[in-house]
Amino acid sequence: MGTTFIEYASWFFETTVFIYGVGLLLIYAILAILSFVNIRLFLRKESYTDYKVIVGSPLAPGISVIAPAFNEGLTIISNVRSLLTFDYPNYEVIIINDGSTDDTLQKVIDEFSLVQVDFAYDVKLSAKPVRGVYKSTDEAYAKLLVVDKENGKAKADATNVGINVSAFPYFLCTDVDCILHTQTLQMLIKPIMEEEKRRVMATGATLRMANSCEVDEGVLITIKAPRPLLARFQELEYIRSFVLGKMGWSYINAVPNVSGGLGLFDKEIAVKSGGYDPASFGEDMELRMRMSRYVYDNKIDASVRYIPNTLCWTEGPTSVKIFMRQRTRWARGLLQLMLAHKKMLFNPAYGRVGLVVFPYNFFFELLAPVIEFLGIIYYIFLIYFGLVNWPYAIILLIFVYTYSVMISTLSVLWDQLTFQYYRTWKDVARIAAMVFIEMLIYHPLIVVFSIRGYYFQLTNRKHSWGNMQRAGFKKKADDKVPKNTNPAAT
Amino acid sequence: MWKDLVDLLFQAYEQFSLLPLFIEIALAFIIIAIAATIFAYGAILYKRYRTYVHEKRVAFISPIIEELITDQVLLNENLGKDIPTEEIEFDKEALSNKVYKKPFVRQILIETLIQYRKNFRGEVGELLRKLYIDMDLQKDSFAKMKSMRWERKIKAVVELTQMDISISDVTILPLTNSTNPSLRAAARNAYIQLSKNEPFKFFDIATEPLLPWDQLEMFKIITTTKDIAIPNFSRWVSYSSNKSVVSFCLKLIAHYDQQSAIPAVMELLNNKDHYFRADAIICLGKLSAEVAEEKMVRIYNHQPLNCQVEILKAMGAIASGKYLEFLKTEFLYSSNFDIRMNAARAIIKHNTQNSRLLVEELMEMTHEENQLIIKHCLNPLIKY
Repeated sequence: MGTTFIEYASWFFETTVFIYGVGLLLIYAILAILSFVNIRLFLRKESYTDYKVIVGSPLAPGISVIAPAFNEGLTIISNVRSLLTFDYPNYEVIIINDGSTDDTLQKVIDEFSLVQVDFAYDVKLSAKPVRGVYKSTDEAYAKLLVVDKENGKAKADATNVGINVSAFPYFLCTDVDCILHTQTLQMLIKPIMEEEKRRVMATGATLRMANSCEVDEGVLITIKAPRPLLARFQELEYIRSFVLGKMGWSYINAVPNVSGGLGLFDKEIAVKSGGYDPASFGEDMELRMRMSRYVYDNKIDASVRYIPNTLCWTEGPTSVKIFMRQRTRWARGLLQLMLAHKKMLFNPAYGRVGLVVFPYNFFFELLAPVIEFLGIIYYIFLIYFGLVNWPYAIILLIFVYTYSVMISTLSVLWDQLTFQYYRTWKDVARIAAMVFIEMLIYHPLIVVFSIRGYYFQLTNRKHSWGNMQRAGFKKKADDKVPKNTNPAAT
Repeated sequence: MWKDLVDLLFQAYEQFSLLPLFIEIALAFIIIAIAATIFAYGAILYKRYRTYVHEKRVAFISPIIEELITDQVLLNENLGKDIPTEEIEFDKEALSNKVYKKPFVRQILIETLIQYRKNFRGEVGELLRKLYIDMDLQKDSFAKMKSMRWERKIKAVVELTQMDISISDVTILPLTNSTNPSLRAAARNAYIQLSKNEPFKFFDIATEPLLPWDQLEMFKIITTTKDIAIPNFSRWVSYSSNKSVVSFCLKLIAHYDQQSAIPAVMELLNNKDHYFRADAIICLGKLSAEVAEEKMVRIYNHQPLNCQVEILKAMGAIASGKYLEFLKTEFLYSSNFDIRMNAARAIIKHNTQNSRLLVEELMEMTHEENQLIIKHCLNPLIKY
């Protein structure tokens, strides 16, 4: 019986998993090509785009910027000021105070001359009760709307309130502590306004780490590659995921996810899809799936588009403990999503989402850590019984390593070919160096935390919403500001 | 030596062919991956170096170009002497400098002249144009027009438009219907700016859509270009089969307050496409078309929500006072929140003695949620 099991395991890993691995590598190769084509096309168009035409235009569609805040007292003022600096003629900024226990609300009231107003809105999406709505008596802050609500223990709950009170047909979902480019709104609305055949239900752009960037009053002064190793790994991962991955998927209209840190959505479709799910651990991906289900069920020809520009800088966790909490939550969200929408898997009724996006997420995002983990156990087992053909094993390891180095290097190259955000060689070298050690240090962490997330989800472990201590952004004077952020983000 | 190398490679191949297939694949991929990685790093180095060299060259050449423009145009001694621009001569020696023969320099020169022309109109603007022509830079632009690459064509169209160099209809009109959206938009914008007699002629032949983003640019050009002959846009509202052109014309009709277009716009209220009807209703509201109120009220009950909301908004903009009772009914009895909100707004927008009395009456007779809606609409701090 033991021999039979070993034979089965050997057959499984030497044939099925090998094919699986080659399939994954091929997908990355295809994505690299597609993203290159898409980025080139984007840049050719971009070279003749004059974004100034939308500034001051009465034809610019209205956008509601929704930013939930929880215990952001130390930085809320600069965060709100940053959000009020968009170069766009028709927008409002909605800050949702998600039941903060510090002085976040009071600070905003004092700084922006807010008064409580009688505000009527339609509760299209269910959420925790609203305690008050505030508007500024100062005309300079006429675009600002602040909503105070009971804590919903999830960003999704706060964002749903923001959608309920929003006035415009599009909403931008972001985190209040993210630093957004002043042209974010005009750049994200463009793919919606230039689509010929389909209705664009969401657009997104690249996110990067702000850890070592210089920031003044919520405005980015200098872009630098992160110094902390963990943040630098995340920077590389984001470049690969956004510039190479999402741009590739966008080319074939199969974007799997619009990041919670930055996404512009068609409000009508988002509301009719049911909005964000506060019970979800991966509310951004979950909303994207539900919106897809809605458009396919209602025969709406819709798409999701990505642009390669970095428009959002966010502070990534620098301690392994916080990073583990974040990735465990993401993994739980992925498993939760797969189980909730399993009927979409290989379902032709859901078009590319059912036949490409969902299978990709299932096989190469959800199962990858499991297969990798089992593979390591199998390997140890073979080593223990002396069954390893070492020359072949080493060749296969080198194969996987060199391939992953190649894909990551290509993503850095695509990034450099497009915008060259880093002004110095040193910054490029810092990111490029990560390519060679990512697989040895960072990747194993991702695998372990994903397995942990799946385990927690399957055993229905209660998620503890811990506060995430962040270092704050580097200021000119280099004074570091510790602060708490929404627990939903951790 | 070559023979030894060939023998070695042959032996390596023989040994390679004896390996299992998956190891052969893995080895092939290793070679490809290493080569691609080395290539990628080479490309990163090359790209950054090229950017560095480009910046250096621009930094070197820009002051020379600036000096040329300053000496020949901005400080030209014949400026302000009522001498026709065509008769002002440049210093031939300065223009024939060898540096201006290089394509890279000529391109920077074109771009710099365009930048200057955006900032200078009148005599200086005309002199900048003359410098562009005298240096034969329009030949460079026309050469780009012949390129097979659409982005080169766009570049040419933009350059010629900015320099006010006419392009023949035979060349530009076909481009206004190009299947490439970017080229199409550039050509249409150019046509409006360059055509002196019939800048909107391409509306007649437009079969490809006028995308919302292109409308932004075109709207800005139409509303900011001087001496442009503004036609009665109702012509296309009535006869164009291109929905996006009609939709755009509705926006222009509203912008130019073309009251004579009201009958044509009202015809669109019978259109089957409800998005189209909504656009027409918005236009009628902006035109304060009191004559359309009766028809809008008549069709109201058969409209989808988006059209109903737009009718209420339009009635608030028209504010004739004739349909306050209708608005009151909608406010009190509709189960839809958006309808009640927009009905309340429309009543308040009337801002007459009657409407104010009606608001007071409604505040007394309606339930708490509706009272909140009225308070919301009355609050000047809430804009949307």
